Amino acid sequence: MRLIITDTDASFLKTNSEDMVITNNDKIHNCIGCFGCWIKTPGKCVITDGFEEMGKYFSKCSELILVSKCTYGSASPFVKNVLDRAISYIHPDFVIRNGEMHHKRRYSNKIKLSAYYYGENILPEEKETAKQLMQANVINYDGEVGKLAFFQSSEELRGVVL
Amino acid sequence: MKIAMINGSPKSKDSISGQILKELKTCINNDATYTDYQFNKPQPSEEALLTLNDFDILVFAFPLYVDGIPSHLLSCLEKIQNSGLANKNITVYCIVNSGFYDGIQNSNAVEILHNWCRHMGLKWGMGIGIGGGGALLSMSGVPLGKGPKKSVGLAFTQMAKNIEQKSSSDNIYTNINFPRFLYKLMAQLGWRQLIKLNGKKAKDLNYRY
Repeated sequence: MRLIITDTDASFLKTNSEDMVITNNDKIHNCIGCFGCWIKTPGKCVITDGFEEMGKYFSKCSELILVSKCTYGSASPFVKNVLDRAISYIHPDFVIRNGEMHHKRRYSNKIKLSAYYYGENILPEEKETAKQLMQANVINYDGEVGKLAFFQSSEELRGVVL
Repeated sequence: MKIAMINGSPKSKDSISGQILKELKTCINNDATYTDYQFNKPQPSEEALLTLNDFDILVFAFPLYVDGIPSHLLSCLEKIQNSGLANKNITVYCIVNSGFYDGIQNSNAVEILHNWCRHMGLKWGMGIGIGGGGALLSMSGVPLGKGPKKSVGLAFTQMAKNIEQKSSSDNIYTNINFPRFLYKLMAQLGWRQLIKLNGKKAKDLNYRY
């Protein structure tokens, strides 16, 4: 299953019937930093707004695709919010990976992370940050790097095979 | 000199970011006036949007989230950009902390804020990334610059010097002065203690859906 998280309405994205597409329904709450997804309801967020099971959905996917406005080299606030609410995907314990400390896996699936960013004025520094961020995310998810592409507008993604 | 201390933690109280800002203040030697802001929701307060323009210095402190900036703070930054800051004579500093031992893992979060400054036309002062941030709350009684807070103290001293002169220098990525293996072990023991306080067993930490 591919999991697509986007701040667009996704109507123009070329997706498959097996894809799970997450769009903004204006109901998402930001993470409150309570660690409940590790120590109260392990594997699930304590905030019940429809996004509490993001960790579970991450565990079922083979590819995680972000389609987002490039915000200072990061995904946009909504897309980043979904990522923040999926912290339950990983285990609280630490392991040493690539000589650095990272979180242990909770699940066994290997996620390929891809990102399609759009924006009228994406600075070269933002593109470099986005690239470094993707690599950092992949190490923390213990996954693999997929595609990283930049577009002038979300409309340019019409017809693009994700 | 007017300094805004912006706590970007999602917690409304007892945050590591709040402690960091308090400790940084003790390092700054001038007769600046400070205003504390709490950015723990996706929308900055009306007061913040109206008054941020009046400052010489903005200092952000926040936790690392998925290798970047927490989404609520990212939303605040976007809203401030949309609202605009006419005063471009502002210098921005930030301190990011993470549970990971390696301070360098905070670097992308620092760069994201630096990119915000580029869009805003503001001056970048410096960033600090602190690894082992999870232990800082329990070390609140330890003086900065001593023992496990030696390197953090040095970094804060450099930032304070920069703030006093509105100057810039390289970002510093550091960590608590505490053996990594022991920090890892204590974190593991900590999670087991906390989950038991919630009426669960240690093995429940491994739950899978």
